[in-house]
Amino acid sequence: MTSSSRRQALLLLSPYLLGTLLLVILPAGISFALAFTRYNGVTPPVFNGAQNFQYMWREPLFRVALINSVLFITQAVPLRLLGALGLALLLNRARRGIGVYRAAAYLPTVIPDVAYALVWTWILNPLYGPLNFILAALGLPTPAWLTDPAWALRSIVFMSLFQIGEGFVILLAGLRHIPRELYESAQIDGAGRLHQFFHITLPLLSPWLILLSIRDIAVSFQSTFTPAYIMTRGGPYYATFFTPLMIYEEAFNNLRFGTGAALTLIVFAVTLCLTLLAYFAFDDWGLDEN
Amino acid sequence: MKIKLLRWSSLTLRFLSGHLLPILISGLFLLPLFWMLSASLRIPGTPPTRTLEWVPQPLTFGNYVSIFHILPLGRYLLNSAFVTLTGVLLTLLTASLAGFGMSRLGPRARLRLLILSIILQMIPVSALWLARFVFFARLGISNSHWALIAPALMGTSPLFILLFYWTFRRIDPAIFETAQLDGASVIKVWWHIALPLARPALMAVGMLAFFFYWNDFINPLLYLRSQNLYTLPVGLLQLQEMDKTNWPLLMAASVLITLPALAVFATLQRAVLWWDVE
Repeated sequence: MTSSSRRQALLLLSPYLLGTLLLVILPAGISFALAFTRYNGVTPPVFNGAQNFQYMWREPLFRVALINSVLFITQAVPLRLLGALGLALLLNRARRGIGVYRAAAYLPTVIPDVAYALVWTWILNPLYGPLNFILAALGLPTPAWLTDPAWALRSIVFMSLFQIGEGFVILLAGLRHIPRELYESAQIDGAGRLHQFFHITLPLLSPWLILLSIRDIAVSFQSTFTPAYIMTRGGPYYATFFTPLMIYEEAFNNLRFGTGAALTLIVFAVTLCLTLLAYFAFDDWGLDEN
Repeated sequence: MKIKLLRWSSLTLRFLSGHLLPILISGLFLLPLFWMLSASLRIPGTPPTRTLEWVPQPLTFGNYVSIFHILPLGRYLLNSAFVTLTGVLLTLLTASLAGFGMSRLGPRARLRLLILSIILQMIPVSALWLARFVFFARLGISNSHWALIAPALMGTSPLFILLFYWTFRRIDPAIFETAQLDGASVIKVWWHIALPLARPALMAVGMLAFFFYWNDFINPLLYLRSQNLYTLPVGLLQLQEMDKTNWPLLMAASVLITLPALAVFATLQRAVLWWDVE
């Protein structure tokens, strides 16, 4: 690699690196600094040590928001991953009409978040919503969904299970990267389909599953904001009060930028922990084998 | 006759096993969209039904007209179109440049960039709202469309850079090197040789970036104060705040914002659903 071609490569990368510096690294630095100050966005920030974190520790709503977010992630991420894997396995083989099935499975992912939240508010309406009509016709229980504190969070997990198009497409690509010969030789050895799945498909797919779960943890932290804001405003009784909504309210409604920034840091730390946890959970089932 | 019948039934069986589940799943995934459409065709104010109604009786398309009288949705539509178009074009520019640059780096620098991209991918955007807000306010762009377009400067998502990188990495580097030996600048090589070879990546990133800017609700909510700058997602929020039980109008507006996304998906879906086949 000559120094001139290295310079050219850096030239090509410069807009991206500059943008990353300005939009991610610099803001992350500002957040970190503001977390130790009292700041209302108007008068200059005042250093106040760890007071914001002490305030968070005492604030019961903070614990509620954090627990709700972690509950959402621990339910939504594995289920979304399973859903995407199921779709990819089902719609992997080339056959007639496969393009239509794949497009249909991707379609809910295309619906803009606000419209998606609105249509699910309608679908989940306990009295007139189509879902409860269907459940009643089948003789199944009809929960009050978003208006019942015990069901509200589950409802948001449930609706997130339909927007799994990206994971589905990524796993389709992963499946296509598995060499056919592996299955052929396994068949010669007399391995059953289940055996093939656990000893070929799953291990060879695990790097993709790790990538996907890491991405989904970060995305899920984020994706609770729009449904919570549009559908429930965090209710009923704070059952869907998630950390992004709390950051939004602290910083932009109450103009407490300092505590908002402290929350931001905690969110980042929790995301990091969950990501590492996901990484090690997957590491157990043989990432090293390929 | 008997053989024919037998063949037919075995074909039906094959069809059921290979297609029944996919058809059921497709139907399930189409339901949200179907219910959105069906609810948008009801006459507002009519009493809600007591049983499941697939197609409302009587049908009306009037809701699609009323929403434009209630809110300046035409204005919002233009704003959304401007932000999305600019955002997508800028994203394609920065992401393809960066992906091409990355493919031309040495293995060590490449690995470092790859790790950086994966770490960036992990940061939840809500962790950046506040600091970006303070920063944009200082720059004087906080109540403008540029605050919404800004992420395009970093290629919108590290994933998009990686998509281009994976595409360019598969192309024989000798193609680029001979062109440069002939005296073409690196920018010329990117534009005349690399980009035409990256059509699938351009389409996939273009589509995903379109969704990002068209669907964006949080950024306009955070940054825009003047109503004449609002984009469609904020318009939907306004409509909901006016009357949160007027489902026909809310669903008509939802269909309105979903249609362009559907059109883009219909045009470019092959590039995403089959992005690594070609």
